[in-house]
Formats: sequence, C-alpha cells, structure tokens
Amino acid sequence: MWWGGRGQSFNIAPQKEEPEMGETPLSSDYDFALVNIGQLEAVSSLSRVQLHRPGSLLKFIPEEILIHGRDFRLLRVGFEAGGLEPQAFQVTMAIVQARAQSSQNQQYSGITLSKAGQSSGSRKSPIPLLETPEDWETERKKQGANGWRVSLVNERFDVATSLPRYFWVPNRTLDSEVRRAFGHFHQGRGPRLSWHHPGGSDLLRCGGFYTASDPNKEDIRSVESMLQAGHSDVVLVDTMDELPSLADVQLAHLRLRALCLPDSSVSEDKWLSALEGTRWLDYVRSCLRKASDISVLVTSRVRSVVLQERGDRDFNGLLSSLVQLLSAPEARTLLGFQSLVQREWVVAGHPFLTRLGVTGVSEKAPVFLLFLDCVWQLLQQFPAEFEFSEFFLLALHDSVRVPDTLTFLRDNPWERGKQSGQFNSYTQVYTPGYSHPPAGNSVNAQLSVWDWDLRYSNEQILQFHNPGYDPERCQDSWLPRQQPSFMVRGPPSSVWLFSRGALTALNQLCPWRDSPCLLTVSSRWLPRPAISSESLADQEWGLPSHWGACPLPAGLLLPGYLGPQIRLWKRCYLRGRPEVQRGLSAPTITGLQDELSRLQELIEKWTPRTSPEDRSQKRDPNPILSQSC
Amino acid sequence: EIHTNEKEATEKEVTLHLLPGEQLLCEASTVLKCVQEDSCQRGIYGKLVCTDFKIAFLGDDESALESDETQFKNKIIGENDIALHCVDQIYGVFDEKKKTLFGQLKKYPEKLIIHCKDLRVFHFCLRYTKEEEVKRIVSGIIHHTLAPKLLKRLFLFSYASAVHSNTPTNPKNHTVMFDTLEDWCWELERTKGSMKYKAVSVNEGYKVCERLPAYFVVPAPLPEETVSRFQGHGVPIWCWSYHNGCALLKMSALPREQDDGILQTHKNFLDGIYRVIHRPPYEIVKTEDLSSNFLSLPDIQTAYSKFKQLFLIDNSTEFWDTDIKWFSLLESSSWLDIIRRCLKKAIEVIECLDAQNTNVLLVEENASDLCCLVSSLVQVMMDPHCRTRAGFQSLVQKEWVAGGHCFLDRCNHLRQSDKEEVPVFLLFLDCVWQLVHQHPPAFEFTETYLTVLSDSLYIPIFTTFFFNSPHQKEMNLGREGQDAHSTPLHLLTVWDWSVQFESRAQTLLQNPLYVEKPKLDKGQRKGTHLKHQRQLSLPLTQSKSSPKRGFFREETDHLIKNLLGKRISKLINYSDELQDSFREFYDSWHSKPADYHGLLLPHIEGPEVRVWAQRYLRWIPEAQILGGGAVAMTSRLVGMMEEVRSLQEKINERHHHQRALPAEAPSLLRSSARLSSLFPFALLQRRPSKPVLPTSGWKALGDEEDLARREDEFVDLGEV
Repeated sequence: MWWGGRGQSFNIAPQKEEPEMGETPLSSDYDFALVNIGQLEAVSSLSRVQLHRPGSLLKFIPEEILIHGRDFRLLRVGFEAGGLEPQAFQVTMAIVQARAQSSQNQQYSGITLSKAGQSSGSRKSPIPLLETPEDWETERKKQGANGWRVSLVNERFDVATSLPRYFWVPNRTLDSEVRRAFGHFHQGRGPRLSWHHPGGSDLLRCGGFYTASDPNKEDIRSVESMLQAGHSDVVLVDTMDELPSLADVQLAHLRLRALCLPDSSVSEDKWLSALEGTRWLDYVRSCLRKASDISVLVTSRVRSVVLQERGDRDFNGLLSSLVQLLSAPEARTLLGFQSLVQREWVVAGHPFLTRLGVTGVSEKAPVFLLFLDCVWQLLQQFPAEFEFSEFFLLALHDSVRVPDTLTFLRDNPWERGKQSGQFNSYTQVYTPGYSHPPAGNSVNAQLSVWDWDLRYSNEQILQFHNPGYDPERCQDSWLPRQQPSFMVRGPPSSVWLFSRGALTALNQLCPWRDSPCLLTVSSRWLPRPAISSESLADQEWGLPSHWGACPLPAGLLLPGYLGPQIRLWKRCYLRGRPEVQRGLSAPTITGLQDELSRLQELIEKWTPRTSPEDRSQKRDPNPILSQSC
Repeated sequence: EIHTNEKEATEKEVTLHLLPGEQLLCEASTVLKCVQEDSCQRGIYGKLVCTDFKIAFLGDDESALESDETQFKNKIIGENDIALHCVDQIYGVFDEKKKTLFGQLKKYPEKLIIHCKDLRVFHFCLRYTKEEEVKRIVSGIIHHTLAPKLLKRLFLFSYASAVHSNTPTNPKNHTVMFDTLEDWCWELERTKGSMKYKAVSVNEGYKVCERLPAYFVVPAPLPEETVSRFQGHGVPIWCWSYHNGCALLKMSALPREQDDGILQTHKNFLDGIYRVIHRPPYEIVKTEDLSSNFLSLPDIQTAYSKFKQLFLIDNSTEFWDTDIKWFSLLESSSWLDIIRRCLKKAIEVIECLDAQNTNVLLVEENASDLCCLVSSLVQVMMDPHCRTRAGFQSLVQKEWVAGGHCFLDRCNHLRQSDKEEVPVFLLFLDCVWQLVHQHPPAFEFTETYLTVLSDSLYIPIFTTFFFNSPHQKEMNLGREGQDAHSTPLHLLTVWDWSVQFESRAQTLLQNPLYVEKPKLDKGQRKGTHLKHQRQLSLPLTQSKSSPKRGFFREETDHLIKNLLGKRISKLINYSDELQDSFREFYDSWHSKPADYHGLLLPHIEGPEVRVWAQRYLRWIPEAQILGGGAVAMTSRLVGMMEEVRSLQEKINERHHHQRALPAEAPSLLRSSARLSSLFPFALLQRRPSKPVLPTSGWKALGDEEDLARREDEFVDLGEV
C-alpha cells in the first residue's frame, strides 16, 4: 500500500500503478478528495470509533479504517494483512489531521493543478465559459433569440455580485432601465432570458419581487416589459410551489446517504418504505413533474414563461435546465449539456460552495445533485435521446467535491473571477471589442471542470458517450406549431400565474399596485391533490382527446414521474454497498468502463469484416463510437 | 357532456369474429365503452357481445390502427375482447356507487366495470341501452364468467371438436412434451442422469396414481412396486441432474396419520427408500420440506390480491391517490418479498447441489405447487438449456404440466373455489422475469415472451393450462374419453405461438442479445433432437473480468464478506451455519464475472427485486413514456443487428454469386414513429395524459366574464 498526501487529496494505490499517478490526480477509484470524506472510522477487533476532529485521539492501533465518502463511496483499508500495523496508526492520524486542516482553510485555492501549469500556454476551454460578451453573443445567435441582446450593465458586478457579468435582456430595454428595474428584485436578480424556444417562446428567470421597494410608474413599466419580453401572453411560474425547500432537500439527501450506507440497519423487506421515507425520490418526481408542465407551457404557445424564485439561484436553475433538456435536443448532446450547466448553474450564480456544505456554513442543500438525479431519471426513461452516458453524470456528480478547478468551488461568478485573478487589471472601463482578460497569472482561470482530461483518461472520456444515442432522432424538424406572435409593447393581454399545477389569471404582473406579497409567500412542498383527469397538454394544444399518430411535437420529451417510473440511481448511491459493488451493476468508474467496453466489443463483433466498398456504402452503424473525443 | 363517435357507430358495423365452435350467447347494442382514464368523458358506441368464449365489444375505435403498429395483434384475443376465463371481477355502478356483482341481480347497473386477470380494466356504460338488453347482457356475462362450470363445458372442447384438423399439428418449436417414455429418457441422457436414474412406466394408464404422469423417473435401484405402495407418495421422483452428478428430487409427503401402526409402516417404508438413495453411488440427500419453513399458498394469494389492486385502476384520480404512497403500498403487499424468498430458496437449493455436492429432495404435500416453483427456478438458474425458448417450454412441460400442477384449480378456471385460486405459476414467471431483467443476455426469450405466456394462461383453446393433471387431460381428451364415432380432436398447445401471433410479431419474443453457447464437440451430442436456431454467428460474449479490477479485490474481499455478513444475517435468521455457507456461496458467485452459459444467480437485495413493469403497467396510459422506455434501446439494438445482417447477406452474395434473397421485412421496431414505453401492448391508447392538471381557470381563454370571476379566485388565493 502506498500512502501519499498531496495537499488536497490523498490516495491509496498499489505500488505498481504509481507511475500513472502524475497523469490524473484523482482518477483512481481509491482516490478521495479530503473534502469528500464524510466520516472516518477506525476499527479494531475490539472497538470501532469515529474520528471527527484532529483532537480526537486514537487509543488503539486500527486494523482497518473505513472512509465514508460524501459521494456515497466507501473505502475500507485493512492493515493487518501486509504487516502494516506499525504504520496504521500514523496513517490514520495523518488523514484526520489533513482533513481538519483542509476544512479550516475555508477558501479553497483549488489545487489548480500543477499539471495545468505544465501544459498551460493557450489552453482553450472545451466549452464556452460565458465569461466574455462574445460567448454570450454566439450563444444568443445559436438560439435564434433575435429580440434579445447581451447587456453589459453588470460587467463590473455593480448591479449584483451573484449575477453573471453578462446576460440577455430584451432588445428594446436600455441598460439604464435594466439597472433600475433590477433594483426591484430580490438581490438585484431581475428577469433575464434563459432560453429562446425556436418556436418563439421565451423562458426567463428572475428573483422574487423586492416588495419593500416603492417603484415609480416608469420602473413598473420597464419591469413589466422585461417580463413580458414582447409577448402578449405571460406566465409567471411560482418556482418553489410544490417543490421541496432547501432544508427538505438536505434532509432527504442525508437520509438517503444513511440508507445507502452498507451497514444501514434497514432490513431487506423494509427497504422500499425506507426509501420512500427519505422522500428523495418524491422530490425528484416533483421536479420532473414541474419541469414537464413548464415545457408544455413553453412549447404549446408562443409566450413568455418566467420562472420566479425568491433567490433565483437554486430551483430556477434546476427547472430551467430540465425544461431545456426536455424540449431542446441540442441540450441533450454532450457539449450542449455542459454549456447548459455552465450557463444555468455556474455562471448564473448557484452557490455551490454553500449548498454543498464544503465550507461548513448552514444552508446546505445539494440542489445540484438533485438535478443530476433528475437528469439520470431522464436518461433511464429515454435511453436513446441523450448523447451522454450515466458515466458522464457520475463523473460530474463526483466532480463537485474535487477541489481542482474553480467551477464548483465558488458561490458566484464574482468570487470565481476574483480568485482567478480575472479582474486584476480591471481599472479600466469596458471598451467594446475588448476580448480577453490579460494573460499573466490567469491561466488557471481558464481551467474548468469541463477540462475532463485533467482528471480522466482518454478511455474514460470516451465512455462519456452513450452508445445508444441515436443522433438521427434529433435531426427531425421539431418546431412547435407556429402561432402569430404579436410583438406588442402595450400591456400584455393575458397574464397567468402557474402554481399548483394550474394556471390562474392575474390582473397584473407586478405586486406593487394592489396586492403585494402574493409571490413572496413561500409555499412548501405538498403532494398535489389528484384532481382533474384532463391534461394540460390536451388543453394547451386544443387537441381532440385522441391524438393522431404523432401526438407530441418531435423533440419534446414528457417524462414519466409516477411511483413505478422513478428509480433509485443505484450506481451512484449504492456504490458503498459491497454486495451491490459486485456483479451486474458496475459501481465504479472502472466497472462502468468495463461494462461499456464490453458493449462496444459486442457492437464491434456484430459488425462483420466488410470490404471497403461495403463500408463506404453503408452508414457506420455506430458513428458515435468511432468518432474520437 | 359526452363526446362520441355516433356517426361511425351507425356507419361502421364491426363484425363479430367467431372462432370455430364459438357461439353467440347474448348481445346488447348502443353500449358506450368508456375510455378508462376519462371515466365517461369519452366513449365509443358499439355492441357488447358475450359468447361462450369471450366478451367482446364491437365498435370502431377511430383512433385506431395504423397498419404498422397493430402487428403485435393477438390473433385470438382482440383488443376489445376478454376471454371469459380472464375476467377477474365484475362491478356494477349504481348511482355512482361501485358494487361487486355476482349471482342473481335485482337491480341492473348503469355501468359495468370488468377487471381482467391480465390487469385490463373495461368500463361499459349501459345508460343508453334498452333495459331488456341490459338485463340480458349483464346476467349473461355474470352467469358465464362467474358461475361454477363443469369441466366438460370448457370452450376447449367445443373448439377442439369444431376445428377440422386438416392442417397437421405444427411442430411444437422443439418443445419436449414429456408425455412419452422417450421424452424422459432423452432428458435423462441430456443431463447425464441415466446412470443412476431410470424412467419407469409403472403408471401407464394411471393405474398407480392419478396425480403422477404416465411416465416418470426414479432412482434406478428402486423396485417398481414401492411406487405403487402408497400411490406414489413417499417416492423420490427425479427432476433433474446437475453435471456433477447431484440430482434434484421431489417427493409428495405421505399422508398424515394418527395411528401408530400405520406410522410405523410409513417409517419403515421411508427407511427402505432412504437406504436406497443414501448408498453410493448416490450422494448424501438433503431434505427440503417446502410445507413448513417456507411460503404458504394463502400467503401468496393474499399478497397477489393486494399487489394487483395497485394496478387495477378505475380512474385517474384513484391512480394519483395511490401514487404518492407507491413504495410503501408496494411493500405492504409483500409480493416482492415473496419473490425474494422464492429466489432465495432456489439459491439455497443450488448451493447444496453445486457447492456441497449433495442431492436435494424437495418435499411437499402433493409435490405440485411450491415443488414445481422451486425445482423449475433451480433449473432455470443452473441449466443454460432452460434459458432457451425450447428449453424453457420443455421445463414448463416437465415440471408444471406433467408435474401435475393444478392449473384448473389454481387459476380457478371453473369458478368452483376461490380459495384454491393461487397464482403460483405467475409467481414463477415473475421470478424468472427478475432473472431476465438482471441478466438479459443469458436468455433466448424476452420479457414480452413471459408476458404473453402469462396471458395465455386464460385462453381456453390451448390444452396446456386447462387441466389439473395429465391424467385428467387424458381422461377428457384421450381416446377413452371420446365417443367412437367422433372425429379426432384438434388439440393445441400454447407453445405453438403461430396460433396467437404472426411471425413478425413473434420476433418480439426473441431476445436479440442472446448468443447461443458454441458447441464444442459435435460428436458428443448426436442424440440431440433439439436444434436451436442460431440467429447470427456471433462469438460468445466476453466475460467482464478485467485486469484493472484485480488489485484491491482480493485485498478487500474478506472485509467485504464481513460487511455482507452483517447485512444478510439481518434478513434471515436461520441457523448461523447454514447462513454462512449460503452467504459465502452467494457472495462468491456475485464476485465473479457472470457466465451466461453457466450457473446464473439473481441479486436478491432490497433494491434489486423489481416490479415487472411491462406486465403490470402496460394498460395504464398514465405510465406511458412516449419515445422512451427500454424499447428505445431495444429498437436501436435491433436496428444495428439488422444492418449487420444485411451486410452479411451482401457478403454472402458476393462470395457465392447468388441472387440476393428478398430483403426481410423490417422489424416491428423499425417504424419511424416514436414508440412508447408501453410497446408492444397498449399501442392504441396513445393519449399522453401527462401532465394531469386541473383545468380551472384555463378553459375559456379571453372570456371576460370568466376572467372577472377568476380574479375573485385569485384574491381568495392571496388571502390564503
């Protein structure tokens, strides 16, 4: 056994594999980031203790230590076998200490990787990081959002530090209007475009109305016109309605982790009710249900749909990303999904550090992990619609606790930029055409979690592709039924509040005139009462109750969210359980890799040796696998 | 109000399709078939008909039938047909109240709800039907489905005598029927059990016992007269031999007696038996008494009746109500737990056969319920032959049909005793499904195959599942049972799938991922009259071992075992010794890569035993995932395999300068439309009914008055 502390992580590996270590710092299954250690136990034949603080002294020489990862992994290290008893004590205490130090040191510098330094130079980010206006402009054009422009009003983070530096606002809204309007939203997070549906609808997100403010008429008008975004039909979605609170999510996640521990005390025949008791799957399904509803709203008519959450930094991101996954085939590609996460989570200011509890502050809630679970459910339900694989989701799941890039290590883009030295020379005023932050020590800033090759080998990255993905599927034309869109600047002709799964007419968009605080009432998650049987989809499309052969607009996925359809992400959550680690469900990265390569082998074997002419005539049966990363 | 397709009802009269020998008993017109999730919001007018074979609704569903998608049609039972034996419960709705219907009715309901054993639910609204017709049809249906019946009145007989068997009975897909001595000898050869066991014909003509088949296999030294001593009770009967020579045996227990004298004779008799089978060359025998320490039939019955209620859904509201508590409801039915216990029992038996090298003797009162279940599960897991279609069908023939499982009573086909109705065979299929689901490449058949097999249990044109024993079948259908002058009966077995499905539909029963074991030595198997069809010349799947995994596994193995021990001992509290060996066995098998052509064990932990979604959820439109589900992946696989096949054909063509064979019709799965997860079953219910949302406030868009009213609602909401 080999023990090496490398600052932020430690590693246990067989000696023979050592040469590879320099390549990918946390690539092995037996590598744990220190922050990832949820619990450390020392076990001897006589006793079993948990080691919490550096002060807690070990009073015996452990025979083995158990390391419970926050990412559901479990590592057991036995010492008695190789005559290693003498070191056992030392090693254990070293881990305890290293862990304590790392949690004291709250501001992670990130290891930001010596390797990155070596290979530095002009390393181009694999996906647009959306840190420049150009990225935003490119993305806007890609979406075909013609009524929108990139606003530079927050370039110096003086509107809000949690907001991205750049975002999209309606063409006709002036920056001064934006600045004023944003002031009337909670923490300055005013309405911004999340996604433009090719059929014309717009999906917006914003924070709660700041009810204490007293906007004048003009401000109200600009707020309204920004929400309306040129549509005559506006739907305000109360994001938190029917969704769990942050505390709920955290509690459910803790329960889930406890349940999935290998020595959890739940007997097999009570497993299902214990699983139900965690409520985690309930929360997953309520997210899916809501996302499915919203994608119907966005797809069925040309309108503006505004997601409104008080803080605009948690469930807005979750819903908006899910809606895009459901309605845009583009977002289901590997590249598209990564840009989606970058845009709706990282740049949009999801407080990763706080939510994942790395810093130990309260308000922990793994909203992002909840999101990944939702995506996994979609992957299960639509195995041929996604370009990325479960393996990719697992890699992403595990990356949130690996302190090597800044992507998930900051609470907002401002901090992220500050850390990476992006603003060192930011005394000058923005000049159009200004392209890149100065070079110098900002090399690392360009590194993100999306630089997968920092931590994963090429073979592993190859496994990110879903061999079942059928790229032809998304080639279909999938525009929704085009309805005449009135680009009006007058008051919207219909305004709705979407809540409790139903649309209620509102007589005004903003709360400040008559009935304040409607939207500031935070609703708790509640099971939706079973009510009518007529579906929103039916009404929205005004379809006869029997649909023809092609009932849904191609490209739109409506996920199942019934009890029997929601499953437990076993490969992720049950990784710590030895009986599951074996056999069919390959639990670890290598296991997954094995399984996938076996599949690939099968496919290869099915493809008989053909003469070149044949080859050229036929479409390669599996273009995904043959194309390199 | 009710939207119907009146026009079509008048214009398009759908004709009733009758099978040979089928008779129309009663009918009613202008019946409204309600589409279930809307409960009377949508309906189709048509005629409700009851024959001596089925209840049929004749109305043309206008949303029907694109030619491409109806290919998986059952030729015998149509979409709107319910075989009389498939009816589970009939309810009537009186003034919005739902009541079970049976016997003579005083009042006739305005709506008929029929729950089927294949979990379909039909709603027939009789409000617009003439009163007389209502009376006739309701009492007709109730009488013909629920009243006790005589065996001779089964539709089977009318059908068999009406069909003119000018077509020779089809080859039975190489299924061994186990109704001749040769079949048993062949099976002995196949499993290399003929050294120690012999097929006997002592029961020919059922002289000894009516429960046992005419031919069966016993230990070779056992004198034939011992078999007849207690009418077959107390005799070890051979089921199957493992390649290490150990055998699985079964025995029906001797009747319980009070009299000491008789008990003593019993004891002496058994001692004699054991002396025979305990002596070399026989291995040590372990006895597994399935009557005690294991499931009881009432347990199974209760669990299944709770479980099926989760899927028999009258309307969406009910569905959404239960959905919230899905997992705990599922758990409280304990159906999955029963499956787990069956799988576990089978693994225990396997451990004895495989690891401890002992014979196992299963004992049960009549050796015809749990014995069938456990012994066939053991064979599915141990014998790769039983994972082929022909092998599986032969297994069902051997253990269940010839083994004397009382299908007639257990399915309650004659409605004579509800108490006897226990879904043992369905439980077996569900256990097999778990294996198919966990190890798909190991099986030649698909879950769809298991589903249609479970449906075939209720179709009374096949003899397979309509008798309690081979004796009963012989008595009623054999030469003796017939009048001298009558034409020979045309008997069908369920294994002739072409009766139910077109060959294109049958491809869905075949697992495209299955690879047959390469035959190593051709000379060795010359006695074989089983020829598996080999689909493609695929090489054997590589096992998933990898050098990368090597490290740590050994090192952690003993740790893992410790840990595993704790868990498993929590779930079973048997003697520690037994548990240890079981655990070690289970454990070590799962730590090795699975060999799909060898011993195959299921995972039995809590998260691994699952609901057979295809069978149980297929009629629930709410559970449909458009464009998703496992079928999406299967269709992709099938597509790729087809491509490979066409390439191979091209190559062959080039090699042999032959003319191209006509291209095979594209498979069912290759239609361009997105398939739903309910494929291939509920194709016609294409209504996506998600998301189900309340409609208030949405209907009259732009209606001013309405809007004003809504504003009030809105204020209310604010105050709350």
